[in-house]
Amino acid sequence: MSVLKRTQLYGIHVAAGAAMVDFGGWEMPIEYPSKIVAEHLYTRHACSLFDVSHMGRVLVDGPEAVSFLQHVLSSNVSALDLNQAQYAIIPNERGGAVDDAYLYRFEEERFLLVVNAANTDKDLAHLNEQIKAYDAKMTVITGDWAAIAVQGPKSKEILQALSGGKAITEPVKNALNTLQFEGHTVRVAKTGYTGEPLGYEVYIESAGAEWLWNRLIELGAKPAGLGARDTLRLEACLPLYGHDMGDDPEGKEIPIFAVPLAKFAVSFAPQKGDYIGRKELEKQYEAFKRIQNRDFSDTADLPRRILPITLLDKGVMRAGMPVYKGGKQIGFVTSGTMVPYYRHEGEGLQTVILEETAKRAIGLAIVDSDTLEDDEVQVDVRGKRLKAVIAPYHMRVDAPPFARPILYRPDEEESANPSGDRVPKALELIGRAVENHVWRQEQCVNLIPSEMTPSRAVRLLCASDPSFRYAEHKKVKSFYDADVFYYQGTEFIDEVEQLLVEEMKAFLGCAEVETRAISGQMSNTAVFSALMDWKNRLDRKHDPKRLGYIMNNHIIKGGHLSAQPMGALHDYIAIDPVTERHALVNFPVCADNIYKIDVEETRKAIEQYRPEFIIFGKSMVLHREPVAAIRKFVDDMGLQTTIMYDMAHVLGLIGDHFQKPFEEGAEIVTGSTHKTFFGPQRGVIGVNYKKGELKYGLWETIESRAFPGSVSNHHLGTQLGLLMAAYEMNQFKDVYQKAVVSNAKSFAKSLKAAGLDVAGDPAIGYTETHQVIVNVGYGTGPDVAMRLERNNIICNYQATPEEEGFTASGALRMGVNEMTRFGFGPKEFDQLANILADCILRGREVKEDIVRLRAGYQQMHYCFDEKQVSEALNGLAKKTGI
Amino acid sequence: MTFPAELKYSKDHEWVKMLDGATALVGITDFAQSELGDLVFINLPQEGDDVTADEAFCDVESVKAVSDVVSPVTGVVEEANTELEDEPQKLNEDPYGAWIAKIKDISAFGELLSAEEYEAFIEKK
Repeated sequence: MSVLKRTQLYGIHVAAGAAMVDFGGWEMPIEYPSKIVAEHLYTRHACSLFDVSHMGRVLVDGPEAVSFLQHVLSSNVSALDLNQAQYAIIPNERGGAVDDAYLYRFEEERFLLVVNAANTDKDLAHLNEQIKAYDAKMTVITGDWAAIAVQGPKSKEILQALSGGKAITEPVKNALNTLQFEGHTVRVAKTGYTGEPLGYEVYIESAGAEWLWNRLIELGAKPAGLGARDTLRLEACLPLYGHDMGDDPEGKEIPIFAVPLAKFAVSFAPQKGDYIGRKELEKQYEAFKRIQNRDFSDTADLPRRILPITLLDKGVMRAGMPVYKGGKQIGFVTSGTMVPYYRHEGEGLQTVILEETAKRAIGLAIVDSDTLEDDEVQVDVRGKRLKAVIAPYHMRVDAPPFARPILYRPDEEESANPSGDRVPKALELIGRAVENHVWRQEQCVNLIPSEMTPSRAVRLLCASDPSFRYAEHKKVKSFYDADVFYYQGTEFIDEVEQLLVEEMKAFLGCAEVETRAISGQMSNTAVFSALMDWKNRLDRKHDPKRLGYIMNNHIIKGGHLSAQPMGALHDYIAIDPVTERHALVNFPVCADNIYKIDVEETRKAIEQYRPEFIIFGKSMVLHREPVAAIRKFVDDMGLQTTIMYDMAHVLGLIGDHFQKPFEEGAEIVTGSTHKTFFGPQRGVIGVNYKKGELKYGLWETIESRAFPGSVSNHHLGTQLGLLMAAYEMNQFKDVYQKAVVSNAKSFAKSLKAAGLDVAGDPAIGYTETHQVIVNVGYGTGPDVAMRLERNNIICNYQATPEEEGFTASGALRMGVNEMTRFGFGPKEFDQLANILADCILRGREVKEDIVRLRAGYQQMHYCFDEKQVSEALNGLAKKTGI
Repeated sequence: MTFPAELKYSKDHEWVKMLDGATALVGITDFAQSELGDLVFINLPQEGDDVTADEAFCDVESVKAVSDVVSPVTGVVEEANTELEDEPQKLNEDPYGAWIAKIKDISAFGELLSAEEYEAFIEKK
């Protein structure tokens, strides 16, 4: 008679009245008196604790630890950074799974491998055999360190109570951290098996396990057993070895690529050499790609795949039940049960999770590879054929902090095409446009930092001829670089563009300016494209090399969307063949001020990565960028790095009151002409390369990537308006910039005094830009911003660097630039701060106060209000019939 | 654990409530629901089904398992409690109120115990 093993927390489970079962040779709690359904729901709603100390925990170190792990795991171990974890599969020679596992790198030179409890003995036997060929060592620490999973939307809050408010980990999946919980050292991973967007696994030395469990219960977490662990992972479509991996219900080995997660866990990086199962996996991968392209001509290497399945008729599907399509058996259910969920009402950001619950019969099934999403199938449930359907997924986590159950529903009916007389529609449109204009211009306080109302002069010019004309032009060397125009009637706009270039050179303080980009992001695309083209100019006979390493601000830390791979950088950023990830390194930020770049850590990162391109600039910005300091590092190290500053928001602040980028060492500046700058919505590129310099060639490439690279028509109306705006900026910049920066600091101070939690360093007045950021509470940003909008205050909800995504936003981002232009000063911003506090903190309706406040500030400042100019504009309006 | 005195009980943990000489309501006991755990589904019998004492006539499902419900009487299903289709948890919350089926034309009974006898039977387990 073999005795079941017990974890460090066995006594606690028994004392709590848990029903104990044999799980893989361990005596584990299947459920507590609360029972599975309640435990599942509490996880989705608040926070559950799972004792996962039964899982095998092995430390791997030694000079050849990485080579060993590369040989026995499917994942690219060289891509695992310090304080990161990765999902991995332990393959066998046949391309099947010995087990699935997680690899953690808490220490530079040592890895923690965690495997399933039921397979630990088998895994260790396999690994101990393989390690003989390597100078590496494995140490089993299952008995020395306990493991507790803390999962659910309240998990972060609960753990932060133990860390004294310190961030548990970076808010990204698979991030790791070692920290103190009330004097106990813990290793924490932002990982889990429930699919919760907020969830952690905590490793603590055995002696502290009971203390930690009890403390977490005190703080509001509730215990959950293996029963709920299974229903939760099923809802998240996570595989379970023995059901969805290993052998199928007929006893046939399931190929690794049958499991959807395989594409994340399997790497064919060259550093992995001829690892166990590689050849079989490569064949499976080829079959997988064909199947994804709906080419079912050869599925021999991957005949069946594991897909989510939802029962449509009433009943419950369970593992082993056959699945049929059109009368023919196509496979089996591998995991299935009835899973509870919370109902919701409303749509989009207005979705509200209700207290009401329901249940659904869902599962995973291994089915023929030509099975598609939305295919109707039947499941044989104890002799009855019940209707089911292949679902894309059962749950989504892109709206943290909650996991969202996705109920299967077929596509909606297409809506009918519009028809009928358009005259009434045109009238309605005009009426609504007037309403909107009056609301926004006369009745709202506009605090969106990326917005500005242009002057009447600018707006009229934007709408006049040549607004709908063409003026494509290019410099031609045969004519000593004179511009040749491809259209007629372009003399006026040619003059305008030349004047605009001169005004912008004066404003930016640089040698050359390109004005044809019609947005900030387009300016960036033209620069990235030019850099890549320039990089490859000496070899046009091969596929061009992409850019990398690039250093930027990560979007979570406030970096521009434009500078991320999902934005303009998408087609220009290289993949590092060693890590198989983008060749991107982010600016490190200060531990005590997440809004500020850590200059010393940046120097180390530059030394390590030797980036060929650095992009400064942020969309959530409170500080100057340390351009001069970084320029110095780059020069001292003798690097050929190109330094660019995407000034976007702060373009209009270039000057004595903020920064002078070219003087500080930036070579390229891009920007939006419509945020703190007075223009209509366009982009601009400035460079400091002079004729005769090597990089003047890069400038010429930028010009051609603007036209014809990015535009054919460069929107002449707004270009005309932009010249007027440039006159206004150059005339008024000193008083305007001074007012904006001082108003921002004053507004911040007033908001703080009114009781709001203002982000930033109080020692410098919270901000050095036009922006003020206010924390309003984790996950409440969207609601607060919507409530403010109903009260005629328009600002952004904003995710701070500690939040997982925009639905979990806990802050508001505000800019003082537009209201400064309408005459707001410290007194008005103070009044506004108090109204805001009334609305945010005390829930008061303040729309009337705002309308009254705005009514007194309709007059625009920092523009030409001389009588002559007004009369001239009246003439323009009359002549243009606008 | 409750054992209403007016009901009869089977050793398979069902209860019987006689409505008249040949008609009865049947369900599962408090002990049964507590052993089974959260019930998430019930496969109700159909109207007109023949049921036989000591043979399974329907099943209930918890998250982890399917369990047969054994009929304590022989007869014909007159009505099934369709409320339980969408709310199987009522079997846990109110085992003696959440009847499963009304059986008519009862012609035979399985071994039935009184509340006291059933309670004693449970205790010995």
